Amino acid sequence: MLGPAAATLSLGRTARLAAPPSHLPDKFPLFPPTRCPSSSLLLPSTVATNGNVICKPLAVGMGMSPRHSVRTAVAVEPNQLSDDPSSKEQAKTYYFLVANAKFMLDEEEHFKEQLYERLRNFGERNREQDFWLVIEPKFLDKFPNITKRLKRPAVALVSTDGPWISFHKTVSLSIYGTIHYPPCLLRSERRFMKLRLDRVLSESYEANSLEEALNSTPVKLEFEKPQKWTAPYPKYEFGWWEPFLAPGSGKPKA
Amino acid sequence: MAAEMALVKPISKFGGTTPKLSSPRPYGMFCVKMSATAQPAPKSKKGKTAIKETLLTPRFYTTDFDEMERLFNTEINRKLNQSDFEALLQEFKTDYNQTHFVRNKEFKEAADNMQGPLRQIFVEFLERSCTAEFSGFLLYKELGRRLKKTNPVVAEIFALMSRDEARHAGFLNKGLADFNLALDLGFLTKARKYTFFKPKFIFYATYLSEKIGYWRYITIYRHLKANPEFQVYPIFKYFENWCQDENRHGDFFSALLKAQPQFLNDWKAKLWARFFCLSVYVTMYLNDCQRTTFYEGIGLNTKEFDMHVIIETNRTTARIFPAVLDVENPEFKRKLDRMVEINKKLSAVAESQDIPFVKNLKRIPLIAALASELLAAYLMPPIESGSVDFADFEPQLVY
Repeated sequence: MLGPAAATLSLGRTARLAAPPSHLPDKFPLFPPTRCPSSSLLLPSTVATNGNVICKPLAVGMGMSPRHSVRTAVAVEPNQLSDDPSSKEQAKTYYFLVANAKFMLDEEEHFKEQLYERLRNFGERNREQDFWLVIEPKFLDKFPNITKRLKRPAVALVSTDGPWISFHKTVSLSIYGTIHYPPCLLRSERRFMKLRLDRVLSESYEANSLEEALNSTPVKLEFEKPQKWTAPYPKYEFGWWEPFLAPGSGKPKA
Repeated sequence: MAAEMALVKPISKFGGTTPKLSSPRPYGMFCVKMSATAQPAPKSKKGKTAIKETLLTPRFYTTDFDEMERLFNTEINRKLNQSDFEALLQEFKTDYNQTHFVRNKEFKEAADNMQGPLRQIFVEFLERSCTAEFSGFLLYKELGRRLKKTNPVVAEIFALMSRDEARHAGFLNKGLADFNLALDLGFLTKARKYTFFKPKFIFYATYLSEKIGYWRYITIYRHLKANPEFQVYPIFKYFENWCQDENRHGDFFSALLKAQPQFLNDWKAKLWARFFCLSVYVTMYLNDCQRTTFYEGIGLNTKEFDMHVIIETNRTTARIFPAVLDVENPEFKRKLDRMVEINKKLSAVAESQDIPFVKNLKRIPLIAALASELLAAYLMPPIESGSVDFADFEPQLVY
């Protein structure tokens, strides 16, 4: 019907359309200058004794992509920017979203897809994983205002990547504080995952080690089968979240 | 085949003009992804193809770009929550699917093996999907260009979304090439009629379009994963990662709406939200029910598939729209099914041998019946909804 010679022409055209503008992702600064003080790039490479990297310098030679380094640096609170090399036990800020386990692990199936997508992306770009799921996290004890509004068992998504999770409280409050925005705007501190999940509570805390940050209380999860299942496919398998649990913890004893 | 040929040009004619994005003419997009195309009409006198727009033809939309500029001007609109957009920009820059859309030889083989009615319906599927993705590309590209000065962050997100849409459209068009066809996107750009929508309506429509697109793609993907015997064409294997783009695009429109709470918080917004939900769901349902061969060809029951997509999209939409339809009420589906029957009769009238005057006479009661079903569906008691960020009861909410 149509000659194969013509096919090459079309491919040229379509290829142009389909070709990803590969220069795009790296062309732009990772954060707009207003929010990313350039000083964060000058931070000393501070590595806590427990092996937690507090802040990496922008060194490609380390085998880390610049993207990774900057992102890690951003998670450091402004008050940590003092270049005191002696403070090796510096705390790191962890941002989290929390809701009941049924919502996080059973109902919101797109959440599973999103976490796997992110894990795949980190793998492809040799980025160190900086997000985890914590079932019944111990750090919740510090947040009575959250726990009193939470169905249990609870599950938290924890990450050192503040913008991905929620908000830089310190920075934002000081900005909003000076301009006197109404409380409704103070509440609208959303970030990407909060925007997606909506029905979650968000906060941040500091911890000295990953282990401390992701400490959890062992609990057995059970989800009732949905009353009516309209989908022409089965649910994601129970336990899909295991790759995201804290390293070496929380896995059910098989 | 003639129907496809009108829009799907022989490949040799392809590769002509690139759509000029700097043209002052605004662009639009379709409402529902994967179910959008013009019904091609016979050639007109000049030999150029005319495009016939029917009641069900999803349209290209155009918007008031000046108003868009004002809405997102950080100078005028100082309370605009830029932090949301910056977080979103990071997600888009991450470019999760940078290396995802790589083809293999399975495509050509699958295309060659496909014969008969299924082949034809697949071509139509690729064509409709490609057009929908492409129209998204045009709209986002133009918005990215227009907002550059007033809000570079929002503009860049639009630009990155147009990157995704171009990638999707290109991938689909390569699929068409396996069938020795290619969609003439340059022609489409110029020849389509554009429907004007104010920015707030663009937000409602594109939000729904992206989210319903996500639910359609992921449903097909997961269904085929569970039932691989229906995996007749490799493109579906790409849908899992692909539709995460759609979902993110939807999140962006969610953020845009949150930045403009006046579009969400009054009684008018509730009426419009219900109106857009209804038009998007009905359009998809009627369109898909005309193409059951496609869905049955991949092992799906068309109506069950559509109801699942509608229910899930509605649940997602309830996180942002101030009101949604009660689509889980069985009466809603009964109304949709009655609309399908009326629509079938309308198609039969159109295909009959009657003279135009008689056709129009026969149409009157049918259109009245369709309108009354639509109105009844619209007036069904809605469900109050919205983001918990705006809810007065939020402090009492248990998560």
